[in-house]
Order: sequence, then C-alpha cells, then structure tokens
Amino acid sequence: MPEQQPGLADLSGTGLRVAIVGAGMGGLSLALALRERGMSARVFEQASELTEIGAAIGLSANAIREFARLGLADDLAAMSTIPTELIYRDWRDGSRIAAHPVRKDDWYVKRFGAPWFGIHRADVQKTLSAALGAEHLHLGCRLVNIVEQPDSVVLEFANGRVEHADLVVGADGVRSTVRRWVTGADDAIYSGTSAFRGIVPAENLPSLPDPQAIQFWMGPDAHLLHYAIGPDGEAVNFFAVVDTPRIWMDEGSVVGVADEVPVASFRGWHPAVTEMIKAASSPIRWGLFTVRPLLRWYRGRVVILGDAAHGMLPHHGQGANTTIEDAFALAALLAEAKPDDLEPAFAQFQKMRRARTRKIQRSSWVTSNLLHLPDGPAVRARDEKVARVPEDFAWIHEYDVQQALRAAGAAPAAPAGAAARA
Amino acid sequence: MPQDTVLAGLTQVLGDVAGVDPADVTPEAGFGNDLGIDSLTLVEVVVAAEDRFGLVIADDDWSRFVTAGDVIAYIERAGMIASP
Repeated sequence: MPEQQPGLADLSGTGLRVAIVGAGMGGLSLALALRERGMSARVFEQASELTEIGAAIGLSANAIREFARLGLADDLAAMSTIPTELIYRDWRDGSRIAAHPVRKDDWYVKRFGAPWFGIHRADVQKTLSAALGAEHLHLGCRLVNIVEQPDSVVLEFANGRVEHADLVVGADGVRSTVRRWVTGADDAIYSGTSAFRGIVPAENLPSLPDPQAIQFWMGPDAHLLHYAIGPDGEAVNFFAVVDTPRIWMDEGSVVGVADEVPVASFRGWHPAVTEMIKAASSPIRWGLFTVRPLLRWYRGRVVILGDAAHGMLPHHGQGANTTIEDAFALAALLAEAKPDDLEPAFAQFQKMRRARTRKIQRSSWVTSNLLHLPDGPAVRARDEKVARVPEDFAWIHEYDVQQALRAAGAAPAAPAGAAARA
Repeated sequence: MPQDTVLAGLTQVLGDVAGVDPADVTPEAGFGNDLGIDSLTLVEVVVAAEDRFGLVIADDDWSRFVTAGDVIAYIERAGMIASP
C-alpha cells in the first residue's frame, strides 16, 4: 500500500474503532471500502463459517464498478457467468415475449460500463473475505445487546464476548438486530409472497431453452427467474415466487414444506419450469420480507445499511447491489467524519441513499405484481412494459456511487489505484 | 400545521426535487397532468417531504396521491395525530 500522507490518519478518522455487524455483502464491502479510504474495521458475524447453501446472486454494473476499482472484478469474473440475454417468457407455452441482449454484442458492458455476473453468494463472500483478511473477521459472534455509553458503544455477543466501538454499522440483513436498536421496533414486513429456490446442473434441464440466459417465466400469481452461475455456466440458479401464503406465521423467514409443494405450486406450467423445480428437490419455502420505509437510519453512534435499512423484494435483483452501493457511499462519508461528531456523516449518508433505495424498493414491488398477472387484457400492457425494460430501468444499472458522492459535494474521489489487499 | 405552511413546504420540495415552478403548485395541481411528475420522481418528492415534515408516508398511502392537495391533507392529518 502507498504510504499515507502525514496527518491523513487523523483526517480520515482512522482512529475510530469501527465495528460492523454482519459479514454478508454489506459488511464485507464496507470493510473493504473503508480500507480504500484509509480506515480499518472489525466485522462480527453470527455464523461460525462463511458458507451459504443454495443461493446465488446477480451482481450488476452499479456494484461491479466499485469492486473493479479495488481490483476484484477479475476474481469475481472467474467464478461468474455473464448471461447471453434477458428473456421474458409465457408461463404455459414458453413463448418469448421479449428479449434483450446482455453478453450478446457486449451490450450490457457497453451501455453500463461494467458487467453483470451470475455468481454463487458463497463465492462472493470468499473473494471479499480473502481480500479483507481473516484477522478482520470475527465469526461465531451473534449480537445480543447494544449498550450506549457517553463516548462509545458496547456490543455484547451470545458467546460472551464484549467489544467497545466508537462507531457501529448494522449490516445484518432484513431481520436486523441492530435496526431494532435504532428504531425500537421490528420494521420487517412480510410481502405476501414466498419463494422456492435452488441450484441445478444445467445438464439436468433438457427442456430448458436458452439455459445461459437470464429468464423470467411469468404466469398467474407466480413467476420463476433463473440465470446460470459458475465459471462455465454449468449450474442454473432459480428463484420461483408465489403469491402465498397470505400471512407468514413462522418466527423465522425459512420453513420446511412437504416434498411435493414446490412443484405443485407450478402445476400446468411449461415443462422447463417444473423440471427445474423438481430437479432441485429443495422443499423449503423462503418468506420474502421487506423493511417498512424508515425516517432515520441511525441513532447515536450506530447506523444501518443495506437490507437492514431498506430490505426490498428481489425482483430487480438489487438487494445485494444497493447494499454494496450503500457500503461504498458510507465509507466515503465516514472518512470525512469527525470522530466525536458522526451524525452529519450519518445524515448525509441517509440523504444520499434514501430516495434511490426507496425508488428501487417501490419499483420491485410494482414489478412483483406485473410478473404475476392472470391471463387477460392486462397482459398486453405488461408485454409492452417488459419490452422496454432496458430503457425503463437503465437508471438502476448506470448509477455510479463515486459520481453521486461528487454530485452531492460529499467526498473526494476514491483514491486512485488503491489496493484491496492488505 | 396550517395549510399554507404545508403548501409552502411542499412547494419548496417540488422545486428542489423536480424543478417545479412555485407558481404552478396549488392544492388542485395534479402530479402527472399539471406538474409533469412521473411515479419515480414522486418517490423522490415523498422522501423529501418526509424529511421536511418529519413523518413517514406509507407506500399504500402515497401511491393514491393524485394532487398536491392530497399530500397536504395527509401531512395535516398526520400532524394532528402527532400533536393533538
């Protein structure tokens, strides 16, 4: 790493003891983004190891351009698939309603300046945590209490560990513990929709047209989204959403169901859809939760980001990506913050991020309804809408955190050529 | 909160967020028809109005707003509940 300028350590707040709760996309990205700004942080994660089974994500240009600056894009690319096209299909006969190029003609990169990657979530975590270094990561630490003191915050963990911090960032997801402390309430709302998901070898999907595309199959009260992941697109990740149950009764967000339930929920759909769900044989239902709009993302020395602050439906594929945007924005603002007066930085972070994330949150909700229309007259208007997706949703993908920071007059440019690795 | 205060606040928000001419903002002005505000820009207006007036406007509520007067009435009602 290049030598720090004299005095920069103080200016950039490197004296701050920063604790990040959660080693998901948000927590790991924030720790790396802080390092880029000359600050260090400790990340506390409740899981005892960083593995997540059966879950992939799509990383879009708005997030990848940040990782690219840290020199991580090639590592991620090596474990990713770039889809050939984005295709919308009819649930029953599989006809192509609309198709837009992605890898084809290099369209997406040319338009948005960075690629779109289908990748296993565990591979992203592995890449980010390796770049961060294990010594910054504290696993098996489940937060149970936050105690505010006059000039610090005490974090108490279930394993008995007690840590003092000057600044705490809750990056602990849609069911956030830190958010409960910030707002005093449980602001997670069940959306009335749930999902079955799985990862299936592409070779087990003989009925699937365009297995290397990202595709939405749209039908009455349900849809299925899939895209390929891995270095050679050898596996297909799917996410099948239904408009049930009306009410979520379970304490957690995942429940087991009878073996036949996932496939039975898509009875009468195109064989490619039922074949995929059947091949995954994963009888687990994921409740889809969002976070009710919050007026304040911070309290005292504690701030929340990502799903904890604005958990959204995943139908624009932006939960992880907006979380990563948050992380890089917050890091830039914290680097300018006065250690004994964090509130202006928190307020500016919220001001910069609340409208954008609310727009995507709202738009994902509208999209959910659009993807689940019954056969009938409304379908024609939907078909016109999905034909316009690249134009209508370009604003999501073209966003550039660093540009937004500059536009807000908020922070200096990210240091050029900063190394991600210690 | 008296109506003219809320109207003045909303007028400023609409100017800041969407570049709307203050002269165009009346309680009868429709967001789509008269002020040229699409649904996504309306979200920005809602968020800025929330910050300005210190309240959260639920999605189910603001998605029914048609005119500036609808927002004003909503904020006034919320103000009465908050400070009876």
